[in-house]
Amino acid sequence: MKISYNWLKWYVPEAPTAEKLVDVFSYHLCEVESMEKRHDGDSILDLKVLPNRAHDLLSHQGVARELASFLNIKYADPVSKYKIPESRPTKLKVEINTDKCRRDSARIVRNIKVGPSPDWVVKHLESIGQRSINNIVDATNIVMFDCGQPNHVFDMDKVKGLKLDINVSSGEEISFLGGAQKELQKGMVAIYDAKRNPIGTGVKGGTLAELDNGTRNIILQIDNFDPVSVRKMGQALNIFTEGRKRFENDLSPELIPYAMRELSATILEMCPEAVFEDIVDVYPKKQEVRKLSFSAKRISEILGLQVSDKEVKDILQQYVYEYKYKKGVFEITIPPMRLDLVIEEDMAEEIGRILGYDKIKGNIPKINFKPKVNETYTKISWARNKLLAEGYSEVMTYTFCNKGEVEVQNSASDKKFLRTNLADGLKDSIKLNHSNAPILGIDKIKVFEIGTVFKKDKEQMNVCYGDKKNITEISLDDFYKTISSNYKLEPRSYSLEAKFKMWSQFPFIARDIAVWVPEKVKSSEVEKTIKENMGDMVIKGPELFDEFKKGNQTSYAFRLVFQSYDRTLTDAEVNEIMNKISHKIKENNGWQVR
Amino acid sequence: MMKEVQKKDRQKGTEHPISLLADQVYQAFSGMGFEIGTGPELESDWYNFYVLNFPKDHPALDMQDTFWIKNAKGNTSEKVLRTHTTTVTARELEKASKEGRLPAAFISIGKVFRNEATDITHEMQFFQIDGAMVGEDISLADLKGVLTNFYKKMLGENTEIEFRPSFFPFTEPSIEVYAKFNGKWLEMMGSGMLHPNVLRNCGLDPAKVQGFAFGGGLDRIAMIKWGIPDVRLFYQGDLRLNQF
Repeated sequence: MKISYNWLKWYVPEAPTAEKLVDVFSYHLCEVESMEKRHDGDSILDLKVLPNRAHDLLSHQGVARELASFLNIKYADPVSKYKIPESRPTKLKVEINTDKCRRDSARIVRNIKVGPSPDWVVKHLESIGQRSINNIVDATNIVMFDCGQPNHVFDMDKVKGLKLDINVSSGEEISFLGGAQKELQKGMVAIYDAKRNPIGTGVKGGTLAELDNGTRNIILQIDNFDPVSVRKMGQALNIFTEGRKRFENDLSPELIPYAMRELSATILEMCPEAVFEDIVDVYPKKQEVRKLSFSAKRISEILGLQVSDKEVKDILQQYVYEYKYKKGVFEITIPPMRLDLVIEEDMAEEIGRILGYDKIKGNIPKINFKPKVNETYTKISWARNKLLAEGYSEVMTYTFCNKGEVEVQNSASDKKFLRTNLADGLKDSIKLNHSNAPILGIDKIKVFEIGTVFKKDKEQMNVCYGDKKNITEISLDDFYKTISSNYKLEPRSYSLEAKFKMWSQFPFIARDIAVWVPEKVKSSEVEKTIKENMGDMVIKGPELFDEFKKGNQTSYAFRLVFQSYDRTLTDAEVNEIMNKISHKIKENNGWQVR
Repeated sequence: MMKEVQKKDRQKGTEHPISLLADQVYQAFSGMGFEIGTGPELESDWYNFYVLNFPKDHPALDMQDTFWIKNAKGNTSEKVLRTHTTTVTARELEKASKEGRLPAAFISIGKVFRNEATDITHEMQFFQIDGAMVGEDISLADLKGVLTNFYKKMLGENTEIEFRPSFFPFTEPSIEVYAKFNGKWLEMMGSGMLHPNVLRNCGLDPAKVQGFAFGGGLDRIAMIKWGIPDVRLFYQGDLRLNQF
């Protein structure tokens, strides 16, 4: 949720700087994904509002209320400032014919004029990345981003019969704003007119009653929908909107009157000549008033932090909770928007995050528990150690592949099957490592993988090991049976300081050089000469790989691997280096390059 | 010459860094009294989601980017590739409850899967560390102690950790764990106190026991600790990776 700092300040004029707010949010509310300074002096904070607070925090007013309480500063409630338009009797009818709609409020406004928005509206919308469309549409968006309630405006003269019917679909076609033509599935909820034309839904409005430049009379319409039905509808129709996001996270129906007041006042400001009719409000089942009891003692036990009654009282007062206190037990009346507060543990989180989790001091508990040995882990450890000892190196390859017996429904990649064996992955690994053998400094590539394979009815942990010629794959259980009982696990030691060295993406060139020297010359002397003349492109070597005597002479053979981190080396330049080395070697008495 | 060849043949193989690190993690938690747990990679939606208090058709399910398995005809059971090893934690807690082994503490490391586009920090398969401790009076303070000790063992004695607010369906309160490494705060793990519904679903009585749970990526620790630049390097079968 993008929050404009300047917008926020309307409601919390004493708010500290945007930079300070980042800390407040991060440690007491939610992650701030980014903060962007705009050239007009505004700062935009992108809050990663947590799903349990999406009921009340996907709005500037919600965030402002939270901040005012947390910082104990003034909340400049806008409600009293909204002009309440004079209102006339209405002939508009609203019916809710599904339990997936929990409340619907609507009113007719006549004599409006569609045109550009006032500056502040354009600025507010643009600051959070929304485009200004026209005054009336902008008003609906301002209300949504301000108080969190999605809402519709319809062209009254395009709505047949002055009636809104919130009902389930029997499979009608709908043309959505923006042009997408979709078929509503049976059971999806839509807003219909008297002729059963669908004019809007919880995920998006329709074009049938869309505003145009000539629109004079409108219907403001605000619903509260069941979150699951909106979510399923959005998924089925593949529609993602700010409205869907808010509905599927569940909103309180008690939000509707606020939103209607704000929407009306905003339109009145834009169109002073507008004539408002009475609000029709259908609210079959009022949201119940919920209470929640908890104690400072219980909260202290959960947090592992001593929290006093006084601290709890202070927080409840700052957050303007109605509460009663009796013998260590607090009973609060849960504010209607705080649908997240249900159980005592929720209050532990509320108190904990407000106090700050930094107050909790760490403790390593001693518990009376005797851990058992995990058989699978033991088998894996033994298998790994045995193969390592036999010279096999460990690799891990991908679980996904092009064919198999188990398939995933959808995937971000084109590999939709789960592997039925490890051998295929291992073959590729052997091939890859063979081409890198000189860099690895190994003559014979031997690798293994211990991992899960998937057959139609079961998954199984397998062990697979091999080289270029032979690959063996058996189940971990069977492999474990082959390990003799007197085989011992060696303890290992780790270095904390080790650092990874990324390899070069450019090809390497490997060269050998063999030298005849008088019997008494040590290999280290030859190595020294090579090192002094090999330059700085050698990533491996000189490595002595062969040594033998003949008569009174010894032959040493070294391997050098050349590679650059920023370019492809040429044969010519490596030849030049090798020539230089040969030349230097020959300068020594009795030394010969073979 | 023969001698050389024989010596090379007997040379010990090199270990994958993830295995090496997993062993260190197990050692660290075993030292604090945790029992190692393991479980299947192909899971029921019950153990992956619903036992953990994920409501059906809830936006929280989107947080997981799940690989759902194609069903055989007529089979209504929903299988997924596990999106976290909290599945193992749930299975172990359920078992401990049946066997009356309380208090209890479990740690598991295993492969998990997320259906998302890959890049240098995202991979469709990676390894997760997951653990829990339950008892009469296990609190967030105990979680902080255990994880502080753990990250010091992983990243060095000077490592600090801090708690920030978060949300997971299976914990209440929910905490994001950050560790300070080389002067920077890094997001490391999700954690919190096990939600009473999860305890109940595992056969435990929330009036009698409470406890913490935590889970986070092992690959991420490896990347931070050793400076490995790209998570995808772990699964290429490339031996140049085995440097430790």
